[in-house]
Amino acid sequence: MAPGRKGRIIKRTIVITAAAVLSLGMEVSGWLVTSATAPEYLPEVSYSTLHSIVPLVFLACAGVAWSIGPARVPSQLMVAFAVLWIPVTFFRVVEDIGWLWPLLYGIHLWWGLIAGIIVLVYPRGWFGDRMDRWIAGIALASALVYFLAVVLLLEAPDADTCDCVANVFQIADAPALYTAIDYGFRGIGAVLALVIAGRLLVRWVRGSVPARTVAFLMPLALFAWAVTLAWYAVTYAVQTTADEVMRTISLVAIVSLPVSFVAGLAHARNMRARVADLMRITREGADRGLWAESLARTLRDASVRVYWWDEEHGRYADASGEQLEGDPADQVGQHSLLPVVSPTGIPIALIRHDKVLTDNMRLLDGVSSALRLSVDNGRLRSEIERTLEQVRQSRSRIVEGAEKARRQLERDLHDGAQQHLVSLGMRLRLAANQARDRGVEPLGVELDGTISMLNTALKELRELAHGIHPSLLTSGGLALAVPELAGRCPVPVVVEVQAEGRLPAVVESTAYFVVAEALANVAKHSKATRAWVRANLDERGVLDLVVRDNGVGGASPAGSGMVGISDRVDAVDGTITIESPPGAGTTITVRIPLASAG
Amino acid sequence: MADPTVPLRVGIADDALLLREGISKVLEGGGIEVVASVGTGQELLDVIDELDLDAAVLDIRMPPSFRDEGIVALEQMRANGSKIGVLLLSMYATPEYALRVMGAGSGTGYLLKERVSEPQTLVRAIETVASGGSVVDPEVVEQLVHRTRADDPLSRLTERERSVLELMAQGYSNGGIAQTLFLGLKTVETHVRSILQKLDLEESPEHHRRVLAVLTLLGER
Repeated sequence: MAPGRKGRIIKRTIVITAAAVLSLGMEVSGWLVTSATAPEYLPEVSYSTLHSIVPLVFLACAGVAWSIGPARVPSQLMVAFAVLWIPVTFFRVVEDIGWLWPLLYGIHLWWGLIAGIIVLVYPRGWFGDRMDRWIAGIALASALVYFLAVVLLLEAPDADTCDCVANVFQIADAPALYTAIDYGFRGIGAVLALVIAGRLLVRWVRGSVPARTVAFLMPLALFAWAVTLAWYAVTYAVQTTADEVMRTISLVAIVSLPVSFVAGLAHARNMRARVADLMRITREGADRGLWAESLARTLRDASVRVYWWDEEHGRYADASGEQLEGDPADQVGQHSLLPVVSPTGIPIALIRHDKVLTDNMRLLDGVSSALRLSVDNGRLRSEIERTLEQVRQSRSRIVEGAEKARRQLERDLHDGAQQHLVSLGMRLRLAANQARDRGVEPLGVELDGTISMLNTALKELRELAHGIHPSLLTSGGLALAVPELAGRCPVPVVVEVQAEGRLPAVVESTAYFVVAEALANVAKHSKATRAWVRANLDERGVLDLVVRDNGVGGASPAGSGMVGISDRVDAVDGTITIESPPGAGTTITVRIPLASAG
Repeated sequence: MADPTVPLRVGIADDALLLREGISKVLEGGGIEVVASVGTGQELLDVIDELDLDAAVLDIRMPPSFRDEGIVALEQMRANGSKIGVLLLSMYATPEYALRVMGAGSGTGYLLKERVSEPQTLVRAIETVASGGSVVDPEVVEQLVHRTRADDPLSRLTERERSVLELMAQGYSNGGIAQTLFLGLKTVETHVRSILQKLDLEESPEHHRRVLAVLTLLGER
C-alpha cells in the first residue's frame, strides 16, 4: 500500500471520527441539559436514540462511499450532514450564548438541503443536468435567506426549543416577516424534495432496465422522506405537533438515503467487476459478436449495439456487417453513443447504449478501456508477430547467406588460389629439372627451396580453407566430418553419429561448428582426458547433438565462443543448454529442428 | 600387368584445365603416355574401354556437384569390372576419403594434389596403382597416426615399428619399406609381423588388404 493512500485513509478516519464525536456530543449534552432544566420538553428515549443514530449511519456510509465511490463529493456531503444534524435539545446547552445560538439555529435545518443535494448528485457525484443545478441553487438560496432571517430577525426561538437569551445580531423586530420566511423556507424545502423525488421516480419508471438496476433504492427512500418532509411542513404550518409515528418514519426515511446511496455505488462497483469478466473475454480473443453479447450482459442492457470501425470503407458496422445508418447523432434518442478511439487516434468502435449508463462513467470507461486494450493487444500482437517473423526470416536468410558465402569462399580458394599454387609448384619443379638438365645446379637448389616454401604456404591455405568450410562436410555430411573433426582434437573423442543421409546444409554446418567450438574448448580449457560427441536424428526430425567431456567444468555460457554457438543455434530455431558444474565436466546439448531450416 | 617396355596408357580427369595440362606434362616427362584428358569423371568412364587404359588420374572434386565425383567414378569403374589403376588427387588430405578409396579395391591410390610438384612421387604412384598396388599420401597417414585416442594400440609399438607402420599405411611393400628405411628385407618382415601381432591384424596375402587394414585400424583407433 502506498504511503499516500495510507495517509488518505488516516485522514478520512480522523474526519469521520471527529464528526461522530461532535454529533454525539451535541446529542448527549442536549439530552442531559434538557433533562436537567426542562424535563417537560425531553423527547422520548427511543426517539432520541434513533435521532442520534441517523448521523452515525451517514458517517458510516460516508466512509464506505469514500472508499468505493467514484467521487469524493457524496462522502463529504454525508459528513456535512452529520455535522449539521443538530438536535433541537442542543439549543438548551447554548441558550445563554447570545451570539452562538442564532448561528446554529440558522443552519439547524440545512441537513435537509444537504440530503437533497446528496440525492441530486447520485450516483455520479455531481449534478447531472441544468435542472439539477437549478433545484440545488434554489434550495441553497432559500437556505441562505432562512439563515439571514434567523440571525437578523429572530429574537428567540419559541419556548419548546429553548429559553434563549436575546439574539445579539437582531437588527429588526419583525416577527411576521420571520414567520413568513420560516414557513416559506420549509414549504420550498418540501416542494423541492417532492420535485426531486418525482424526477427520480419518473426517471425510474420510464427508464430502461439498466436504469432501474442502477437506482432502484434511491427514489424509494427519497420519496418516503419527501412525503414525510411535506407532512412536516404542513403540520408545522398548522401548528400541530407532529406525531411520534410520523417523526419516526421520517428518521427511517432519512437514514435510508445514504444507505441506498452506498448500495447503489456498491451495485455500480459490482458492474465494474463484471467489466473484469469482459476483460477476460477480451484477452481470450473472443470474436466480435460474442464480445458485443458479453458487453450487453455486463451492462444489463439488451439494447447495447457495438459498431466496429471498418477501416476499408471508412464507416461503422456491427459484427454481422449491418452498418450504422446516417449520422449517429440522429439515432440517439433513448441511447447514448460512446466512441472508442485508440491512443493513436484511430477509431475502434462506437458503442450505442442506454442513456442512463452515462451516469456510470467509470463503468463505460472500463468498457472502452477493455475494448481499446483488446484491439490494441490484437494489433500489437499481430504487429509483433509480423515483426518477429520478419526478423526470423531475415536472420535465417543471413545465416544461410553466411553459410553460402563460406562455402563459396572455400570453393573459390579451392578452384582458384589453391589450383594456381599447385600448378605453380609443378612449373617450378619442371623449371628446376630443366635447370639441372642444363647443369645449373644452384638454380635447381634455389627452386627446390621455393617449392618447399610454396608447399608450406599451400598447407596453410589448406588449413584455412578447411576452417572456412570443410569440404568433407559438403561432400560427406556430419557422418564423415564430425569424426574427422574429432580426430583433430588432442583429447581422445568417442564419436557416435547416427544421422542417416544428408541434412539441410544450414543444419549440418551449424552442428559442425557447434562441435568444432565445443571441442576447441575441450582442448583449450577443460583439462579433460576424454570427450564424447553424439549426434542423432530423432523420429520427430530434430537433430540431437551432445558434446560432453570429463574435464574440470565451470565453462561459462557467456564466453565469446559459446555466445557465437548460441547465436548460430538460435538462428536455426534450435535450443542449446550448457551444463558445466565445477569439477564435473561440461555437457553441451543442442537440438535443431530440421523443419525450420531453409 | 604392366610391361616395363611399353609406356603406360593413362587418362586424366580434372575440371581445372591448368592442372590437367600440368599433370600431363609431368607424366609424359616420366615416360607415361596420356591418352585422354577430360573435365569430368563421367567423360573418362565413357572412354575407358575404348582407349584400353592402364591407369586413370582423377580429381576428387569435379562437376557436377563438386563433392566426391572422383571417388564415385572409381567405384563405378570397379562396379563395371575395370581393374585399371586409379589414382585420386585431392586438395585436402582427408583420411575418410583415403579409406573409401582403399575400400574400392586394389590398384588404388590417394594423393594430395600438390604432389604434382614431385614428379617421381606422381609417376611412381601411377606405376604402383597400375600394377595393382596401393598408394596413400603420407600426410593422410600422418594425420591418422597423430590422432589421439585413449588406450592407443600404437603406444605398444616401438619407434621403428611406428615408422614401418606409417610406410605400410602409405602402401609401401616390404621391399619398398626396406629401401626407404635402409633396412634389410628380413628385418622389415620381422617388424611387420611384430606390428600385425601387436595390433591384432591378420597377415593378408593381398597387399592392398594390408593397407586397408592398417588404415582402418588407424582410423578407428
